[in-house]
Amino acid sequence: MNARGRIAPARVGRGTLTYAVLVIGAIIMILPFFWMISSSFMTSQEILARPVVWLPAKLRLDAYRALPEAIPLGRMYLNSVIVTTLTALGILLSSSLAGYGFAKFEFPGRDMLFLLVLATMMIPFFVVMIPVFYLISKFHWINSYQGLIVPNIVTGFGIFLMRQYMLSLPDEVLDAARVDGASEFQIYWRIVIPLSTPVIGALGILAVVYQWNNFLWPLIVARDANMWTIPVGLVSLQAYASNADVINMQMAGAALAIVPVIIVFLLLQRFFVSGIALTGMKG
Amino acid sequence: MGTSAATSGATTLVRTRRRRLNRRALAGYAFVSPALVFLLVFALFPFLFTLWVSIHDWNMLTPIGTMPFRGLDNYRYLLNEDPLFRQTFKNTVYFTVGNVGLSVILALGLALLLNSPIKLRPFWRAAFFAPYITAPVAIAIVWRNILDPDYGLANGVLAQFGVPAQPFLSGLNQAMPSMIAVAIWQGIGYYMIIFLAGLQAIPADLYDAAKLDGAGAWTLFRSITVPLLRPTMLFVIVINTLNSLQVFDLPYVLTQGGPVNQTNTLVFYMFNTAFKFLRMGRATGMAVMLFLVILVMTLIQLRLLREKE
Repeated sequence: MNARGRIAPARVGRGTLTYAVLVIGAIIMILPFFWMISSSFMTSQEILARPVVWLPAKLRLDAYRALPEAIPLGRMYLNSVIVTTLTALGILLSSSLAGYGFAKFEFPGRDMLFLLVLATMMIPFFVVMIPVFYLISKFHWINSYQGLIVPNIVTGFGIFLMRQYMLSLPDEVLDAARVDGASEFQIYWRIVIPLSTPVIGALGILAVVYQWNNFLWPLIVARDANMWTIPVGLVSLQAYASNADVINMQMAGAALAIVPVIIVFLLLQRFFVSGIALTGMKG
Repeated sequence: MGTSAATSGATTLVRTRRRRLNRRALAGYAFVSPALVFLLVFALFPFLFTLWVSIHDWNMLTPIGTMPFRGLDNYRYLLNEDPLFRQTFKNTVYFTVGNVGLSVILALGLALLLNSPIKLRPFWRAAFFAPYITAPVAIAIVWRNILDPDYGLANGVLAQFGVPAQPFLSGLNQAMPSMIAVAIWQGIGYYMIIFLAGLQAIPADLYDAAKLDGAGAWTLFRSITVPLLRPTMLFVIVINTLNSLQVFDLPYVLTQGGPVNQTNTLVFYMFNTAFKFLRMGRATGMAVMLFLVILVMTLIQLRLLREKE
């Protein structure tokens, strides 16, 4: 009783401090999002007003109306969706095929080939950027979906992650299917893939986030406005950067890029977190 | 007679097994070969090609066969005659040390807070993690406007507290710290989640046992949390170092490397050398050198990780 009485005040003190730190931190994290949305509905006078005006007097859609005239917004969204979806599907397919091959088959040279895959994980993109660009230009893929997608659909990391997971799949189940006369591809498609959904989900989320946000490669490959992805198109708004009149337009563009992702994230938060914990700790 | 029949029976058995093994091996090759062919074409071949170009002079427009051979001239030029290479190298190290050091401390602190019994944990976690999944380019545009010295929100708020306007991204001394701050803001949630997973993997009975022995909070932290979290810590440091050394989006959007190259980073400089000035020999030379730095740092950090385990 006495001891509890002594601990309680200290705990209350520490608790308040914890919450104070969290509240201040959360304000710093959320404020830029709030300002992005709020100022996208403001006039430039309101944005420049001192003392700071936090909310627009009226919800003005001017910036959202002007935006499609400055950049091909619909086309950018379409391009981003196409490139992200196909790249992520490609990564999942190539990684699960190769991961399964390395995890569950024995063949001469397997370990050496897997080392090769691990070696490619050590090569960052900027190192191969110039030759890959040259290859793509030789294929006449500059300014095309192939150019944006194909170089990214195989990753050493994806293969590694899949293999690590698939090592733990029970051999008996696979052998039983073989005895029943299933072909190797049927076993992969009907048994291995359904058993691997956790790692497929984790890798899928990582691939989608990475591709949706990818900037350097599309910046080089998407030369014309009709092939721009969202990040590349948004950056073209920077050309107006010195002009205070277009801040609300830049904020509206950023909001249109960010808000859908945040909504998806809030809906799927649990999967994001467990996916990152899974891939993070295995990496 | 009987034995030979048995032997021939055994050989057919061995033979069918071997045939089955061969079929299994072929299936294995079939599963791995599409990905391997891709990695050969889009990773290994380009890697060798980068090494090749870095000892030549090339503008990407002339045929490969006609590149003049330059030996180590590109490397010599970058190391001895190019002040901008030295500057961008220093900037990149500055950015990496600042970002990694502060991110790790702050993310660990946050993870410890979120690992204690608090209310609304999912809300706090989401608030700190959200910036990580947003496009760096989009969020950097927002920050560029917030930090603008003339019309930015940051100076507006400071003015309300009577603080004079700050140059932030356009100040010689403030540009890099501002960029580091944006990078920390963006990445901290990711590292926090990884630390949280690491903390939750520490068995609770260890703490209970130590508490029974009368250990205080600080002792618990030092003698249980820190040693058991070391692999997670090294993982976070490795990943963050690799990403920071390659930073490109932030200087591209926030500053274009300015003012006076104060925030020009290696990959940004390399990008301009290659795609603005078409000096592929020098650009690949930079790529090779930064790659070597990254390789050495990764190997050192992985060695440390293995030793501690």
